[in-house]
Parts: sequence; C-alpha cells; structure tokens
Amino acid sequence: MNPLETPFIKTIRREIAFTARDHTVWFWMIIVTCLSVLSVAFGQAEIKHQHVQIQSLVQANEASNTLESSKWNDWGSAAFYHYHMTYDAPSDFAFAALGQRDNQPWKHRIRMLALEGQIYERDVSNPSITIIGRFDFSFLAAFVFPLILIMLLYDLRASEIKAGRYHLLVSSVSHIASLWPLRTILRTTAVLLCLLVPMIFAGAINGTSLSTLLQASIMVLLFTLFWSVVCYIVSAWRQSSAIILTTLVGLWVVTAVVLPAGAKVAIDKAVPLPSGADILLHQRETVNDAWDIPKEITMNNFLQRHPKWANYQPKPPSFDWPWYYAFQQVGDQATENLSTAYRNGRLQRDRIAGWVSLIAPSSLLERSLQSLANTGTAASIDYEDRVRIYHSKLREFYYPKLFRHEPYDKTHLNKVPRFNGR
Amino acid sequence: MKEIVYIAVGELRYWLRSHLALGGSLVFLMLISITSILTTGHINAENNARVQQQKNAEDTFLTQPDRHPHRMVHYGHYVFRSPPPLATFDPGLDAITGQSIFLEGHRQNTAMFAESGASADLGGLSWLSPALVYQIFAPLIIILLGHGAIAREREAALLTPILSLGVSGYSLVLGKALALLIFIIIIMIPLMVTCTIAVFKGADPIAAGLLFCVYLLYLIVWGIMTLCVSSILHKRSTVLAVLSSCWFIFNLALPSLAVNFVTYTTPLSGKIETDLTLLADLHKVGDGHNINDPAFGQLREQLLKKYNAQSLADLPVNFRGIVAIEGERKLTNVLNSYAARRMAGETQQSQQLANYGWLTPTLAITFISRSIAGTDLANYHRFQKEAEALRFSFVQKLNHAHAEQLSYSDDIQRNKDEASGLKARINASNWKSLGSYHFKKSILSDRVKSAFYSFNILLTWFFEMCIMLFLCARGINS
Repeated sequence: MNPLETPFIKTIRREIAFTARDHTVWFWMIIVTCLSVLSVAFGQAEIKHQHVQIQSLVQANEASNTLESSKWNDWGSAAFYHYHMTYDAPSDFAFAALGQRDNQPWKHRIRMLALEGQIYERDVSNPSITIIGRFDFSFLAAFVFPLILIMLLYDLRASEIKAGRYHLLVSSVSHIASLWPLRTILRTTAVLLCLLVPMIFAGAINGTSLSTLLQASIMVLLFTLFWSVVCYIVSAWRQSSAIILTTLVGLWVVTAVVLPAGAKVAIDKAVPLPSGADILLHQRETVNDAWDIPKEITMNNFLQRHPKWANYQPKPPSFDWPWYYAFQQVGDQATENLSTAYRNGRLQRDRIAGWVSLIAPSSLLERSLQSLANTGTAASIDYEDRVRIYHSKLREFYYPKLFRHEPYDKTHLNKVPRFNGR
Repeated sequence: MKEIVYIAVGELRYWLRSHLALGGSLVFLMLISITSILTTGHINAENNARVQQQKNAEDTFLTQPDRHPHRMVHYGHYVFRSPPPLATFDPGLDAITGQSIFLEGHRQNTAMFAESGASADLGGLSWLSPALVYQIFAPLIIILLGHGAIAREREAALLTPILSLGVSGYSLVLGKALALLIFIIIIMIPLMVTCTIAVFKGADPIAAGLLFCVYLLYLIVWGIMTLCVSSILHKRSTVLAVLSSCWFIFNLALPSLAVNFVTYTTPLSGKIETDLTLLADLHKVGDGHNINDPAFGQLREQLLKKYNAQSLADLPVNFRGIVAIEGERKLTNVLNSYAARRMAGETQQSQQLANYGWLTPTLAITFISRSIAGTDLANYHRFQKEAEALRFSFVQKLNHAHAEQLSYSDDIQRNKDEASGLKARINASNWKSLGSYHFKKSILSDRVKSAFYSFNILLTWFFEMCIMLFLCARGINS
C-alpha cells in the first residue's frame, strides 16, 4: 500500500470520482464555460469595434479638418472651425467589464468654443440596448454565477439524506466533518475554473497585465468563497431542500437587487446635484449676453482670471476674435461652480456607492472589476476631466496667437495639441 | 367543475399554512409596494421639474430684448422631455435617455443629461421599477408557490390515492392552475393601484387595462411553466432547482446575451460618425451665412429677375434673410435624412432584439410594457422628431422676420458702429412666434401597434404553454 494513501487522501480521491460522476456538476460546468466564453468573446468583439471606431473617427475628423482648412484665413476662424476628437480608448481589461461605456459618452468632437456647451453631448448607444445591458464577464461573475453556485450547493446534504445514503456515508467516512466542506470545495473549484479560464485566456490574448488578471481572479475567488460559505452554512440547516434553496435565492435577491436598488435611491436623494439644464441655460445666457453688453465688461471678467493678456489691444476694423473667445471662456467661468458641483456630486455619489457595495457583494465585485477595467463612473469622470484639460491646452495654444495678433500661418496648425486618448 | 374548485381551495389552504408561501408573498408584496410608491413619487417629481424647466426656457426666450433675428437663431431654445403618465409603472427608457435638447440654427444636437449618467452606480439590476419587479420577481414568487403543486402530492405518495378517487389528471392540474391564477391576480393588485393612480394623472384607461392584461398573460405563462415542470419531475427540490435555473436563464442571461448578439450582428455608427459623413453633403448645401456662396447664385438671379431689380439693395426683401431661409431648409433636409437613417438603424436593432422574445418571454413583456406605457424607443424618437420640428419652425420664423422686417442695407451695415448695430434689430414681439411646447404622451393606437409584434410572441408562448400543460396533465399518473 502506498504510504501516502492516508484515509484522508482516499476520501479526496473518492470524492473527486464522485463529483466527476455527477451529471448536475457537468451540466453546470458546461453552462458556465459557455457563458464565460460568450461573455469574453463578445466583450472582445465590442472592444475591437470601439478601437476601430476611434481610429476611423480620428481619421475622418482629420480629413474634414484638412478639407475645411482651405477656408481658414486667420487664427480666429482656424480656431472656430477646427474640430478635435477626444476619446477614451477601452483598456486592455475592458473586454471583461464594459461598465458605463454604453451609457456614458466616451467620445467627443470639440472645438475652441465654450466647453460647457459641448462636454455634455451624449453620443451613446441605442437606449433600448443600454437598458438591458451587455452580458459581460463582470455581470456573469457578479450576478449569474452566485445563482449557479446556489444550484450546485444547496442540496449537498439534504439530497444524501433523501437518497438514504447519509448514514451510510457518515459511517464510512473517517472524518465526516470534513466531507461536506470537501464536496463544497470540489464543486466550487470546478465551476470557478470554468468561469476564470476563458477570462484569463482572453486576457492573455489582449496582453492584459498579469497583475490585473491576478487581481481580477482574486476578486472573483473571494466572491466565490463568500457565496460558497453562505451556501455551506445555509445548507447545513436542518430543513427541506426547498426551504434551503428559497433562502439562498432570497439572499441573492436581497444582496444583488434590493440592497443596491434601495441604496441607489437613497444615495441619489442624499446627494443632490444641480440640474444639468441649469448649467446649460446659465452658460448660454452668459455667452449670449456678451453681444449686448459693452465689450469692456466681458474683457474685464476675462482678464481678472487671465491677467496675462491685460495689455491686449483690440484691432478696431475687423471682427474681434479675441473678444469672441474671451466671452466663450467667461461663459465657462460663469457656470464653473454649477459644473464643478455637478462633477463632484457625481463623484460623491459614486464614492458612497462604493462604501454601500461593501454590504452588497455582487455590486462590490462588479464595481471592482469595472475599476480594474477603467470603465466605471470614476473613469468616465476622469475622461471628462481630461477633455477639460485638453480644452484648456487648446486655449493656451490659440490665445497667444489671437491676443498678440500673430499672423496666420497654416504650418503652425501641426503644433495644435493632440488629445491623448491612451 | 366542482372538483377543480375543491382542489384549488385545497391548494390555497395549503399555501396559507405554509410559512414559505406566506413569507415569500409578503416579501414580494412589500417589494412591489415600496417600488411603486418610490417610482410614482420620483416620476411625478421629474415631470413637475421638467414642465417647470420648459416654462423657464420659454420665459427666458420671450423676455429677450430687441435683437438681430439671427442672434436669436443662435441664442436657441431648450425642450424638455416629460415622462408619460404610465411611466410611474414602467419608466422604461426614461432614466437612460437625455432629458433635454438644445435647439439652435444649423445644428441638431443630441439629447443631454440622462439621469443614469449622474446616478450612483451599483450595477446589475439596480434600476428597480414596478414593471421590472413584475417582469423578474413575480415569476420567482410564482415558482416558489407553484413548484410543489403536483410534485408535492407525488412525493407524499398522495397522487395515487387522489387519482384513484376518480379525479382525472386534467382536473387536478386545472385545480392547481386555478389556485395559481387566483394568486397571480392577488399579486397584481399593486399594478392595478399604480395604473389607476396613473389614470387619474392622465393616462389612458385602455392603456392601463392593456397593461393589466399583458402582465396577467405573462405571469400565467410562468404559472403554467411551473405546473408543467412540477408534474414532470419527481423530486420537489429538483423541480425548484430546474425552475429557478429557468428563471435566471430567461431573466438574467438570455436578454443580455441577446444584446451581445444584436450589437455584434447589427452595429450602429454613432452621432459623431454620422456628423462627419454628412459634412460632404453639407458642402453642397452652402453656408446660409454667406450670401456669396455659389450655392445661392441661382436664387439671387431668380429674385433679381422676379423683382426686376439691379442689385440686392433694390430687392423688397432682405436677401440675407432669404439665403438664411434657403440655407436652413436645405441643411435641415440633409440633417433629417441622416437622422432618419440613424433612427431607422436604432429601430432595426431594437426590432432584432425583440425577436429574441421567442427565446425568453421576459424580453417580449419588456417590449410590450414599454410600448404601452409609452416609454419605448419610438417615444424617444418621437421626442427627437418633435424637437427637430420645433427647431426648424422657430428658426425659419426668425429667418422670415429677418427677410421681411430688416432691410438689406441696415443688415449689411450692422457691424459699422453702435448705432447701426441698434438699427439692425427687429422687435422683441417676434420672439412670441416660438409658441409653447409640451411633450405629450403618444397616441394610444400607435403604442398598441408597436406593441403588437411582441404581443404575438407572448401569445405564442401562452399557447405553447397551454399545449404543454395539456400534455403534462394527460401524462399524470402515480
């Protein structure tokens, strides 16, 4: 006899063989594998589509700028008609968690005019698609997978009792206490591997960094551990399998749906946001009023914030482009408070949602995977911030040319800052 | 007949004694009641806010001083999308579509500020609405109550005695079905209440009635499915496991997977992409600000000939205004054709998605429900079209005022000095032509028409289930 063949190892071997003979386990393993493959494959296809889209948009925008540029004859008109693509390219892990990318804009075509009028444009997907949401890996792992675990683990004990094998098992196994954990671990590991392997495989193809994949796997592992422990504890309860199953599904409903939904309502109530309409109306008033009020008022408002251009002298005969851009910026300044409040409010809501998700594991896992993939709310606000910074760089580029009346030189257009979409 | 009622009463009594059934129903009723109250309050508040914002936008437009008409074309206007009354039951796309559009000359803007963009994000199904609770959680509670209906009798070895008493398999199944139907009607009371309140707020009573009918049909489909599985499988816990698996595959997995398939097979180009492709067409239209654009050469000749004038200054109308009218008209035609194409693409995508209703009744009911409530894609498109019609109308009214009320000579000298600038203005009373706007609910017959396709799917599900139940009932033996 092999000296390593302790009774415990024997039990493990027997249990593996037992699990491998169980049709239910095979059934769910196949289902999980299929779902996981489908989720990452479609995620991958969508990411590829977005990359292609970005590339073609940048090219088309370039082409249209080149076409238009023949009409530009001064820096003012060049700045007015020159459009710039900004975009947030999907990260190398986005295939697993598409997050907010169907709901929040990740591409803009902006120009030197007041930014507030442009940044809230929403070029997003078809809403009847967005409302259902994609079946991506994060959704599978966070919302569907626990239910599959429940189906696998709810009647481990009860079924043995029903089948009349329970007492036989108890008498034949040396450590009965370790039998149920062992079965739970074996079944869980089997489906967990089916879930993770396609994701890791897709990650390898995408060149996702090892640490990202490792972090994602650990998150899913911990989440799975949580649910299998819950299933283990609840199924130890001496009740009929129907009651155990109902309790487990009930727990899923509460943690995956009711708590998040309730928290969402509460958070939105607790952190009020300025209405978007107010931002836009206010911005438009300021920009448009500039035409009716003396230019000095606008220029004073502008120069207070940008004293650099204080010694600017308007050229009387032509249309005064510097003044035009100054009032655009004053328009942005006027809504600065509202706009910052809108931004910070959203971040605040997101932060609280992050804390609340600590008691809603499904939300926690989905949010964590999204933040790994840079597709959450914070990432979308970060993109918005980068557009703002980029727009201010455009201003820095054009202002010297405008306020110092530099002669128009087409070749300088090559030096226009470009948006770095990563 | 008597035995059917007898069996139904017995089943109802059993549920009343079962902690599981009572507890589950209670939790469901609490969930649906709270969701209904919150959603109704929220949608009504949103509605009031948007009506108020619409009024503010109109007031600010009207109180603008005398101006050059083209200034007002660029000053622009806002429209707000008010949710229809039945949105209190099914808010549908309300939260994820933009609430307002900025209307200005020469451009069609996107709808901005969707509520979902600013909300706390907790993922998954955190947009609970009464409709969603009925679509997803009502089936779960039906499964919870109904799964044991026949399997329980079989497990307790009561099936043989019952059948030997002369009760047929049909009567047994029909009795259990009757009990489930009564239960379904009870859990639909919150739907009736929410919809009745919506009727008082202006919803069509027929639409509310239709919602009740389609949800009844949908839940009956689930009820029958439950009975079928309960009569086929032998172990009660297996019945529950199979039904729960069906539940999450139908409700969670399949609809999202369908989204994956549809977006992959019929991808859509976004607004920016369309904007870039339509630029070439816009060049042909000409720039409505530039009277020397060759695109308007023919128009100039025609006008000079018509009025027998030597120069533009001799025309009885302001040629700049005429060019603005013509430019806007042609430009709008181009924009509209592209917008129509984009909407057709979206409609096609959503139609494709509706096709997957053949695989899961949940998709069918979501489409029917949104259509009847008036919160579907067609409604959102209607908002965009109405906004565009309003944009075109007020811009052209201003352009007409430009052509008729402002002389050409005053117009071309507007930048000369301050006095000329003041002269090149028209009276603020012209702004009244904007009129007032309210985004109303769509006509009921249109909504019913767009619900028709998915309704057929749901009806097919119902008949299929009935046949299944018939077969199962025939096969019942101990």
